[in-house]
Amino acid sequence: MTSRSPIVFGELLVALGLAGLGLFTIIGSQDISTGGGYSQIGPRAFPYMIGAGLLALGGILCWQAVSGGWRNVPQDEAHNEPDWLAFGILSGAILLHMAAIAWAGFVLASTFLFILIARGFGSRKLVRDIVVGLVLSTAAYFIFTRALGLNLPAGLLGGL
Amino acid sequence: METLNALLSGFAVAMTLQNLLLGFIGVTLGTLVGVLPGVGPALTVALLLPATSSLDPTGALIMFAGIYYGAMYGGSTTSILLNTPGESATIVTALEGNMMAKRGRAGPALSTSAIGSFVAGTLSVIMLTAVAPLVVNLALKFGPTEYFSVMVLAFITVSTLLGSSMARGLASLFFGLWIGLIGIDGQTGQARFTMGIPELLDGIDVVVAAVGLFAVGETLYLATYLNKIGDTIEQVKGSIWMSKSDWGRSWKPWIRGSFLGFPIGAMPAGGAEIPTFLSYAIEKKLSKQPEEFGNGAIEGVAGPEAANNAASTGTLAMLLTIGLPTSATAAIVLAAFQQYGLQPGPLLFDTQPLLVWGLIASMYIGNVLLLVLNLPLVGLWIKLLSIPRPLLYGGILIFATLGAYGLRNSWFDLLLLYIIGLIGFMMRRYDIPVAPTIVGMILGPIAEQQLRRALSISQGDPSIFFTHPISATVLVIAFLLLVGPPIWKRIASKKHPPVGGATAAP
Repeated sequence: MTSRSPIVFGELLVALGLAGLGLFTIIGSQDISTGGGYSQIGPRAFPYMIGAGLLALGGILCWQAVSGGWRNVPQDEAHNEPDWLAFGILSGAILLHMAAIAWAGFVLASTFLFILIARGFGSRKLVRDIVVGLVLSTAAYFIFTRALGLNLPAGLLGGL
Repeated sequence: METLNALLSGFAVAMTLQNLLLGFIGVTLGTLVGVLPGVGPALTVALLLPATSSLDPTGALIMFAGIYYGAMYGGSTTSILLNTPGESATIVTALEGNMMAKRGRAGPALSTSAIGSFVAGTLSVIMLTAVAPLVVNLALKFGPTEYFSVMVLAFITVSTLLGSSMARGLASLFFGLWIGLIGIDGQTGQARFTMGIPELLDGIDVVVAAVGLFAVGETLYLATYLNKIGDTIEQVKGSIWMSKSDWGRSWKPWIRGSFLGFPIGAMPAGGAEIPTFLSYAIEKKLSKQPEEFGNGAIEGVAGPEAANNAASTGTLAMLLTIGLPTSATAAIVLAAFQQYGLQPGPLLFDTQPLLVWGLIASMYIGNVLLLVLNLPLVGLWIKLLSIPRPLLYGGILIFATLGAYGLRNSWFDLLLLYIIGLIGFMMRRYDIPVAPTIVGMILGPIAEQQLRRALSISQGDPSIFFTHPISATVLVIAFLLLVGPPIWKRIASKKHPPVGGATAAP
């Protein structure tokens, strides 16, 4: 692996992931019960085809990754300085929202989500974010539950 | 005559107060969300899908058509003022329109795009009205064999004509097809790839997938890589109205763009990108001032915008008459139909004529509403563009999670949303197009069904796809699209050592 242009490990990883998914699909297809149907081709055939396609494309992309990199990838200098802190804050925000929504309710969970996302994008105006988040979540809650008939959890604010 | 009667009864449906109001709300919401930077038409449509869930099918689809139109128009406004095309079909608008805006001509650029959209929208709905019954008659002759072949063609074109690499486009398509496998097999009732998770038995909902890929993925990507880079919004100075010479230079490109966009958009190999680029090239060639192109020529906005709009109507024509979505946005519209257990296609014209023709009639109305709404409200849309990023993406995420959670109030859908968002983030980072995934996941199960029907008819003999003439022709075209470009590239770059091998598209 001493190719002249450096291997982008992300590309290799994505390609291996695809090939792996293809392999998993082919193997997993054998576990699908054919259900004894009358049809000429059962529920396994299409998954086999897709698994084979994923495996082949993953292979091609692996080969491209080790032989000079993926083709025609636009060079983007922004990729040199990833802001993983922001990535982490956003991820945490979404996962916290997932954990909180059922008991805290839509309005509180969404307001908190909003504040964290804004923080991830570098906002330092906490009061503004709380107010905007609260107004937006409350408005969305009433529009979707009252006018559009969607069911959203009221949670801690349910008694109000 | 029959068509005219059908259309008139469609207008009777669309002109009821409730449906007019829904159309108006749809157009307004579509524009409102579509104009937000970073929110393309596909995401707009996916985000607003839950908003239609409590309506009757006709009303919901009329509102949805409005959302679709509004989203297209909103995207153009963003392209012109911000130079961030939400999707590849508005790249040309972004290029030329943003140059106009930089030279202080944002007003006329927005006007020519709005009026051009109206002209093209109306012309192409007229074409749709005229062509639909013919296509329906043709499509009624289609058996499963032909359907499967046409879908293969759509798969190939969606994944190879766009984006910068055929291998990555196809990888995205196959990933979408794989997502489409998850859930219960419609024909035998067997669970597939659910990994023992009961929530996956229904499959992955298109709203979760589209919102995850487009909204969560894009938000993560922006925060991680691009947050330090600021946008510059061009100000709208002076009059928004077009001068006499602007009109003179715009009307022909509008009409040419419409006639270019609709037929190409309506083909399974279509999409909106090719007609916009073609229109740009033609207008440049025909212009008396070709040197202005690249520096803000109004023809370069008028033509491609009309072509884009006409092509999106063409895509809808394809969806309505054959049931085939050829863009990510159309794929989500198809999901909206499926929400009501409706399958667009030739049979729908028979079984639900009032719904189909009401929808078509509402497109005529939607175009008028869009024009009435947009010219006076340009100032408001511009304000939306200057929402600070932290607030904008905070808001987008509130609605993204609402859409995913509201489906069945399950935290699992939010986890899925995040996982798909991570995949979208990686796809964006490594330049893998997202649209083929969406088309693959929605069209995949339908294609599988047709494949299995075709093969049961032929008793398992796959040669059926080559003995039926329509099917054979379509498959040959698909094959040429797959192998043609790489071979062409090899011949063209004979003097250089072949770099891309058999996998890189030009």
